[in-house]
Amino acid sequence: MHGTADDPLIARIAAELRRPVPLRPDFDARVMAAVRRAIPSLPVRAWTWLREPRVVAVSPLGGLAMAAGLAGLLVVGTISRKPSAISRQQSAVSRQPSAVSRQQAAVGRQPSAVGAGAAASVTFVLVAPQARSVALAGDFNDWDAARVLMRREASGLWTVDVPLAPGRYRYVFVVDGRRFVADPAAPRAVGDDFGTPTSVVTVGGGALRAAGGSL
Amino acid sequence: MNARILMLAGALGGLVAPAAARAQSERLAGRLDDRTRAAVTALVDSARAAGLPADPLVNKALEGASKGADGARIAAAVRALAGDLTRTRAVLGRTATEAELVAGAAALRAGATPAFLERLRADYPREPLVVPLAVMADLVARGVPADTAVRSVLALVRTGMREAELVAFRQSVERDVALGAPAGAAAAVRVNAAERDFANTATGQQPPSAPPRPRKP
Repeated sequence: MHGTADDPLIARIAAELRRPVPLRPDFDARVMAAVRRAIPSLPVRAWTWLREPRVVAVSPLGGLAMAAGLAGLLVVGTISRKPSAISRQQSAVSRQPSAVSRQQAAVGRQPSAVGAGAAASVTFVLVAPQARSVALAGDFNDWDAARVLMRREASGLWTVDVPLAPGRYRYVFVVDGRRFVADPAAPRAVGDDFGTPTSVVTVGGGALRAAGGSL
Repeated sequence: MNARILMLAGALGGLVAPAAARAQSERLAGRLDDRTRAAVTALVDSARAAGLPADPLVNKALEGASKGADGARIAAAVRALAGDLTRTRAVLGRTATEAELVAGAAALRAGATPAFLERLRADYPREPLVVPLAVMADLVARGVPADTAVRSVLALVRTGMREAELVAFRQSVERDVALGAPAGAAAAVRVNAAERDFANTATGQQPPSAPPRPRKP
C-alpha cells in the first residue's frame, strides 16, 4: 500500500518535519568556536605541510640552473676564505736587505687549466742579511703584510711558499715592517699607480700549443 | 618554463651577488677612510653590475692603502683599472676568465693594442691567454718596445711554444739585457732563434748549433 499527500498520516509527518526547530540564541557562536578549535595553529599547519610528501617536477634545465647556483655559492664561500688559506710564517731577526733576491714562478709546473683554481706553490725569496723581518704583501693576501711573514734561513735568505691559483699577481717585499722592496729577480709591473716599484708573478695553468695560427 | 628558469637563476644570482659584495666590503673595511671607501665601493659595484670581476679592483684599492696613497689617488687607480678591464673584456669577450682580464689589462697598460689581444683570442679561442699576455707586459717592463714585444709573443706562440717555454724566453731576454744587450734587439734575436729552431724541426733538419746525432751501427 502506498500513501499520498492526501493521506492524513503523511500530512501529519510532513507538518512535523516542517515545524521550525527552536535553537538557543548562542547556537551560532558555539558552532563557530568549535570550528575555530578544529583549525590547527600556524606552526602546526606549517609542520604538517613540510612533512607531507610531494612530487616536485623540475626540468633538466631547471636542475642545471639550481646546480650552477649552488656551485656559485660554494665558489663565493671559497673566495671569501681565500686569504686565510695562506699560512702565517714566523719572522726571523736580521738587519738590512741586499739587492739580491730569487723568485721561482710556477709557470708551466701545473698542467691544469687556468680558472680551474688549482693552486701552485710559489716560493718567494729575498736575500736580506741585515733585515730584522721580511713580509710579503700582494694581490693574494689583501696587501696585508701581517699575513705572510717570511722565515729567515742561512746567509740572510728569507723565503716563503705561497699557494697561488693560475693568474697574474702584483706583490712587494715589506722589509722591517715599513720599507717596500720590489723583487729584483722578477718583472716589474708596468705603470705603478702608487709611486713604489711593484713586482709581478704569473702562474700558468694551461698547455698553450699553437694550432696553426698565423701572423 | 623559460621564465621559471630565469626566475630561479635570478633568485640564485640574487643570493650570490650580495654575498660577494658583502665579502668585498669587509675586505675594504678598516683599510680605507670612509670617503675613499665610498668612492671605491661605488666603482666596484658599478663594475660588478657591468659583469666585470670585482676582486682586481678591490686588490688595487688595498694595494694603495697598504702603500699609504691618498684617497684620490686610490680612487683614480681603481677607475683606471676598471677602464682597462672593460677594454680587455670588449676584445676577449664575456667568456674571458678573471686571470685573462687582469693579464690583458696589464698588457694594454704596457702598450699592447686591442688588436693584439684580438689576434691572440682569435688564434686560440679555447686556450688560456694569461701567460702570453703576461710575457708581453713583462718584456715591456724590461725595456722591450711594445710593438716588438707584441710581435715577439705572436711569433713565439705560432711556433708552438708552451707556457713554460714562453717564460723561459722572457728570462733569456732579461739575462741578455742584464748583460748589456739592447732590450729590443735581444728580443728580436731570441725570437729569430726560436723561429729558426721551429722551422728546422718542421722540416726535419737539426738546428746548426745542435750536436750531430750518433749514427746507428
